[in-house]
Amino acid sequence: MSDMVLSARSGLEQLLLPGNYGIHTNKPGVVIALRTDLALASVMVRKGKIEDLRLRVHDGFGLMLPLTAQRADSGILSFTWAGPGQWLAATSGKTPVSFEAELRDLLSGLASVMNQSDGRCIIRVSGPKARDVMAKGIPIDLDPRVFGPGDTALTLAGHINVHLWQVDAAPTYEFAVFRSFAASFSEWFLAASAAFGLSVVAG
Amino acid sequence: MSAAPFPSSGHLQPHRLRGGLIDRSRPLRARFDGKEIGGFAGDTLASALLANGNRLVGRSFKYHRPRGIFTAGPEEPNALVELRGDARREPNTRATTIEMFDGLEAASQNRWPSLRFDLLSINSLFSPLFSAGFYYKTFMWPSSFWERVYEPLIRSAAGLGRAAGEADPDHYEQAYAFCDVLIIGAGPAGLAAAQSAARSGARVIVCEQDFAIGGRLLADAREIGGVPGNVWVAGVVDELRGHAHVQLMPRTSVFAIYDGHTYGALERVSDHLPEPPPHQPRQRLWRIVAKRAILAAGAIERPIVFPGNDRPGVMMASAVRSYINRFAVRPGERIALFTNNDDGWRTAKALSTSGIDVAAVIDSRPEAPPHLKSLCPGIRVITEARVSATKASPLLRQITVATRHGSESMSVDTLAISGGWNPDIGLTCHHGGRPVWNEHLAAFVSGQAPPGLAIAGAANGRMLLHDCLAEGSEGGRIAAEDTGFAGSAITHAHVDDETFAVTPFWHLGRGKAFVDFQNDVTVDDIVLSEREGFRSVEHLKRYTTLGMATDQGKLSNVNGLAIMAALTGQAIPAVGTTSYRPPHSPVAIGALAGHSRGKQFRPIRLTPSHQWALEQKAVFVETGPWLRAQYFPHAGETGWLETVAREVRTVRSSVGFCDVSTLGKIEVHGPDAGNFLNRLYINMFSTLAVGRARYGVMLREDGLVFDDGTTSRLAKDRYFMTTTTANAGPVFQHMQFCHQVLWPELDVQFVSATDEWAQYSVAGPNARHTLAKIVDAPFSVANADFPYMAVAELKVCGGVPARLYRLSFSGELAYEIGVPTRYGDALARALMQAGEVFGITPYGTEALGIMRIEKGHVAGNEIDGRTTADDIGLGRMMSAKKDFVGRVMAARPALLDPERPKLVGLRPLDADKRLYAGAHLLPVGAARIAENDQGVITSAAYSPSLNHWIGLGLLVRGAERIGHTVMMVDFMRDAFIEAEVCAPVFVDPKGERLRV
Repeated sequence: MSDMVLSARSGLEQLLLPGNYGIHTNKPGVVIALRTDLALASVMVRKGKIEDLRLRVHDGFGLMLPLTAQRADSGILSFTWAGPGQWLAATSGKTPVSFEAELRDLLSGLASVMNQSDGRCIIRVSGPKARDVMAKGIPIDLDPRVFGPGDTALTLAGHINVHLWQVDAAPTYEFAVFRSFAASFSEWFLAASAAFGLSVVAG
Repeated sequence: MSAAPFPSSGHLQPHRLRGGLIDRSRPLRARFDGKEIGGFAGDTLASALLANGNRLVGRSFKYHRPRGIFTAGPEEPNALVELRGDARREPNTRATTIEMFDGLEAASQNRWPSLRFDLLSINSLFSPLFSAGFYYKTFMWPSSFWERVYEPLIRSAAGLGRAAGEADPDHYEQAYAFCDVLIIGAGPAGLAAAQSAARSGARVIVCEQDFAIGGRLLADAREIGGVPGNVWVAGVVDELRGHAHVQLMPRTSVFAIYDGHTYGALERVSDHLPEPPPHQPRQRLWRIVAKRAILAAGAIERPIVFPGNDRPGVMMASAVRSYINRFAVRPGERIALFTNNDDGWRTAKALSTSGIDVAAVIDSRPEAPPHLKSLCPGIRVITEARVSATKASPLLRQITVATRHGSESMSVDTLAISGGWNPDIGLTCHHGGRPVWNEHLAAFVSGQAPPGLAIAGAANGRMLLHDCLAEGSEGGRIAAEDTGFAGSAITHAHVDDETFAVTPFWHLGRGKAFVDFQNDVTVDDIVLSEREGFRSVEHLKRYTTLGMATDQGKLSNVNGLAIMAALTGQAIPAVGTTSYRPPHSPVAIGALAGHSRGKQFRPIRLTPSHQWALEQKAVFVETGPWLRAQYFPHAGETGWLETVAREVRTVRSSVGFCDVSTLGKIEVHGPDAGNFLNRLYINMFSTLAVGRARYGVMLREDGLVFDDGTTSRLAKDRYFMTTTTANAGPVFQHMQFCHQVLWPELDVQFVSATDEWAQYSVAGPNARHTLAKIVDAPFSVANADFPYMAVAELKVCGGVPARLYRLSFSGELAYEIGVPTRYGDALARALMQAGEVFGITPYGTEALGIMRIEKGHVAGNEIDGRTTADDIGLGRMMSAKKDFVGRVMAARPALLDPERPKLVGLRPLDADKRLYAGAHLLPVGAARIAENDQGVITSAAYSPSLNHWIGLGLLVRGAERIGHTVMMVDFMRDAFIEAEVCAPVFVDPKGERLRV
């Protein structure tokens, strides 16, 4: 029997400590918060079960799984399109294991479910210069005419694979970054945002 | 360069005129060759130099001839300077594009010891020697001279300016932009286009290479709707700035058109400042994706080729107007104008309006139109005339004008020349379009433009202001409409009259008549090129270097082609043009690199134990995108081999652990998961029991080995497969292809789990005792409860979910333990603590590699894309009961040939000798030639367990030659020793340690 205790460590906490970075300003152009509160899971539809799955999800959570690059969000639970027949499910207030088990149980026979809570770091980005920072490394059009709240994209940020979605029109975005790339991602983000001033706040 | 402070007084600018578009309230000081010059905001270095009377600014490339400022734009071939000093020194910077700033320092280049007295200008005396093809003809043989004599000689003589030779201290960045309509060039046509597109509501980006918006309207005294051109410009700029959906980007050159409506542009963010402000880049490279674009880049005035046309004081006529009207600078005191077209006359008018003494207007045409003569009353006009010679010392002081009636000399200090206008169409050729000759303009216009690009204004051959505005406006409307925005073209108010007519004038006489000023290519060089058979334009270019300078032939190409056409008796269109490729204007390598520099060269992946390994002072190595611990040195160890040997011995005698999280991990779910794996791997996975792991090998479609790894079955419909670190991405892609294209009928889902799990290999006789301290009850690690190749999901360290796999790569009793990555750092620390009593050691990739060679496990060195499963000793794994990727092609006769090299072990006969990976294997006593080659050593290592070098290799009929001796031949390292062929397992050949 083990008497040792393993303490958790986030992929970005040590890299992006709360504080201000870049130019000195009272009004940082970009604000980021690390979402360490989320449990994540990949949900992948079983063959031929898309309508059943959407019905089950709707009955169970009141959300309609999007079939295009969109996100369904109830405030505490969201399903973000991650490719044909795939979604990234996210929730706060649950442990990764219980979230995976709950989804696997509810969606049994209709979808394959895999815990992703440790594989991705989620970063929330907002502030008046959020789009300008993102333009420095993301090769897609984030203009409000083209990409708005509820839209999602699987793309690159500073040559790093990211899954991003827009939360609101402020604008606020969230990025899912593979954990092993978190250090390179934060280096790119710090460099890209330095000219506008960056504030890292607690998640 | 001197760092002395600038004196506060004494910047007389004796050549300033009244007016202009400079800001006299903001005086600026700069230094050129150490001497102070004054200027104002709105000046370029070139205009400030002229204002201060500096007319000699550089020496030419080959002949070191004195050169002055020739243009007022980015096409400048002569006034190339070194800008700034020390690490920021930028050679070959065009003075005509350098925006003045306070404290600017620049130096002339290509002169020694001084600009006025340059010793290498002696080259000019020997110029017959330096003609076209000089290098090809002179530096031919003996070939041994190439590296030692010729190349250093050429390198020391060639080139312009000096590189900084230090790391660039500035940052460059890259950015993406998207719009409906991109406007390239903000002159009259571009602004008119932007105005109508913007009013329709379309998203518009306007790029202008200059720091000031307006193009020729800043340089020519024109009127639009009764107001001066620059006032009209200011009004349009105000309007555009008022639209939130319009982005106006001055100091931004569009340099390329790529596929998918993507445009490359370079924004000079901080070039107009002494150094970039904090956190600002020097330059920003933009990729602009535009549904539609309008090229309104204007036209570039063409020089006239005549003997002595490169003297300091010879200047493009349009540049003379720019300096007078825009920069309020008098380029000379007594100026003659040499033109073959109507537009040149506008310069005469500008000169006389400014009260500058005009010696004569020399028009090559038989008649000068009366309306032009009336523009410049009282000025002497000589028609059907040409300039046949110049005198200079070193500045221009005299020209000779030849007519049918004879010639006369004229004292002038400046000669303005105008040979017509070339539409700036380089960008239109970036998708392979060829320019088309236009007789009326005597210039090339765009042939087929890239998709989505329209051309407006002077770039499209519309040489009259009224036409530029109308075409720009209509072009903006159409572009907006094409992208879904309704608008209407704006009708522009009355524009003052002008005419455009040109009669080409191509020089054919002899003498030093320059065609390409920067590369010192003269008419004689083209004549020689033609005579020696280099008549195709592409040959002409390479033989003479015509058009290969920083201006990429913007000034010289048409003249050069016209001369070749005349020499060969062809029409100009028959001669054709060379290809225009990106970049249209020079781009710093730093801007292309952007953030990807130094440690940010590319994104790297860090392992879960990275921080802990840093604390352990591990040495790291790049393995693909990952940074992995290579070994963990202890104080007092003298080298990596000592460290690694200790790590290996500790594992084999007690216990060690290694972060193996970098292996590709893929969860494969669904009712058909087992069937899917059966088809991917050569061996069977559908029969694998839940709670068990199996080693698998997969082939490429061509039957050669692709990858290997272990796959575990976690539940009836859930597998967890691993790939090699290097192939994690390619294997996942392969699986997607197989599922989506080959077998869409399979009900299988898979997703990467590489980053989800921190995974450690725990290996050695004490591995079980170590893990027993980690796992939570009631889980038992006893051999009977958890045998070799068992897999379990369990809890560790008081409730942390984990997975345990009894796998061994080292050949020892070993496990792999996985925990959610957030616990990876803590688990490394916990393993150290749990194994402390056993003397546990962390080990890195070196020890990992040595132990797998000792155990005879194949890795990337053996799975090199050329070996079959049988070649590397895995042939028996190929199932005959099922189909799998590569099965058919693996049965090709060549892959079944018994003569193929097969995996063997190798040990040196003399145990003190070293084996080298990459060395070849030949029969003992055979000549060391390729015909006798029988194989290669794929992996070699010093074995701490055996205390001598060992190797794995591929040897012809290897399996049959165990116990034989072969010769290792390594010419690279001059090593030739005898080695014994042995079985490829050096440690625990019976595999007993795995199962205890």
